[in-house]
Amino acid sequence: MTDQIREQLSALLDGELPRDEMDLLMRRLEKDPELRRTFGSYALIGETLRAPGGRVAPPSFAARVTAAIGDSPASVEKASTTRAVSVAQQPQHVALWKRPMVRTALAASVAATAVLLFRPDVAPIAQLEVTPANSFAMSASPTPAQSQRLAGYMVAHSQFSTPMVRRNVLSSLLAADPGITRVSYEMGEAR
Amino acid sequence: MSGAAMRRAAVCVAGCLLAFSARADDDARAWIERMSESLATRNYDGLFTHSTGRQAETMRIVHRVDKGKSLERLVSLDGSGREIVRTSEEVHAYLPDRRVVIVEPRGDDGSLLKSLPTPGPALDRYYELAVGPQGSRLLGREVRVIDVRPKDIYRYGYRLWLDEETAMPLQSVVTNGIGNPIEVIRFTQLQMKDKIPARDIEPTVDATGFQWVRTGRKVAAMPQLPSNGGWRPLRLPPGFRLVASRLQPIPGSPMPAQHLIFSDGIAAISVFIEPGSQTGPRPPETSSMGSANAYSTSVHGHVVTAIGEVPAATVREIANSVVPVQGSDVPADSPASSAR
Repeated sequence: MTDQIREQLSALLDGELPRDEMDLLMRRLEKDPELRRTFGSYALIGETLRAPGGRVAPPSFAARVTAAIGDSPASVEKASTTRAVSVAQQPQHVALWKRPMVRTALAASVAATAVLLFRPDVAPIAQLEVTPANSFAMSASPTPAQSQRLAGYMVAHSQFSTPMVRRNVLSSLLAADPGITRVSYEMGEAR
Repeated sequence: MSGAAMRRAAVCVAGCLLAFSARADDDARAWIERMSESLATRNYDGLFTHSTGRQAETMRIVHRVDKGKSLERLVSLDGSGREIVRTSEEVHAYLPDRRVVIVEPRGDDGSLLKSLPTPGPALDRYYELAVGPQGSRLLGREVRVIDVRPKDIYRYGYRLWLDEETAMPLQSVVTNGIGNPIEVIRFTQLQMKDKIPARDIEPTVDATGFQWVRTGRKVAAMPQLPSNGGWRPLRLPPGFRLVASRLQPIPGSPMPAQHLIFSDGIAAISVFIEPGSQTGPRPPETSSMGSANAYSTSVHGHVVTAIGEVPAATVREIANSVVPVQGSDVPADSPASSAR
């Protein structure tokens, strides 16, 4: 992957990419899985640092960061230097992931990065929900058939949501990986 | 000041406060209606980040209006390559990681008129609505912040950053009962366009060899549910009413599922009732995706699944209260009765 592409990805996330370049990059993104993975890593880094409460990095995050930075802190510095030209022209829109704090995070080891991004006081969604005291939560992966069935239900359900909520529901369906996550499995006699 | 004068003053102040509150509600409702109309009727191409407590992904949304029909493509730019295309007739969910395409007929035929939401006049009975002052900026645009706070524990709240000019939501946050964000959508790019090329709505996923799963048929072609029977939840949160019901074919099953849809004007809850497996009842299951929660349980040899963008406890309560009913069996004062 060239530095130019990295620059374009970063500029796209910062809203600084010219429209003609953006259309081309979008098309390329949709057809290139590797580029999507890199872009996803950049987006996650930016989003994590923007979020006031921090984010919980997904299990694949370390691998994606490694892929995004080309396994070398030096490549990040090189990209930063290249980018600095356009940054100087628009100081109010400094590319987020290339700010000093972000460069430090990227240059750190993958493990350290993951730790930095994980804020123990931020509870995943499952922990924010009230769980009955007599239920027992146990991790379990849904079978493909179960995931598919629930995905079908989600698509059917989305038909009756308002446009904004429908976008949220369908976005969640796209983001779910590898499928719908079963967050608890209540034990007890089924009725 | 005499006692009578003080009472008059107090009544006047209370009246002013009520009038102010009512106006704020009306203003917020108007903003929400404008937002929904913009989302459904404008041409736009945007890039946004979808964040939950577990992960953040970047997605592209392209919305095209053509001859009065609303068409849309939503694609993950973050690895999985999943894609959802809403044509005028159907919704196609491409899941390349599973080599599956889920096909669902559109209930609204893509019609702009039918796709418009109805927040409803009773919205302020269940949500506290507020409009922020002018002057906030996001993405270089002037925005207005709209707060939709639930008045009980059965639903989520929303905070919306709406573009002053177009009312498009540049950022939206779903909050739980204590006001913590649980799902954030933040645009980093949003282009409002006069026209969107038809090719921008076409899927980029090569679905050769994929399994195509048709989960439903056109609603109009489905038999109507009997008006005096079927299945109903005996407990519903205040404000939710039955807005639609239909039969939903299940791939591989000779019997369709009953699909009941309840809404309070913002949030929707679907309840699916399908014949249970021959291996016996399964333990209850809870699932979540973003701010949507699902709960499945077994009832009288059937699997009941409640899904909605509401707290997990809400879908659990509803699913656990579903019973088979005849017309005369529904208690007169039950929520199920009032929903019919």
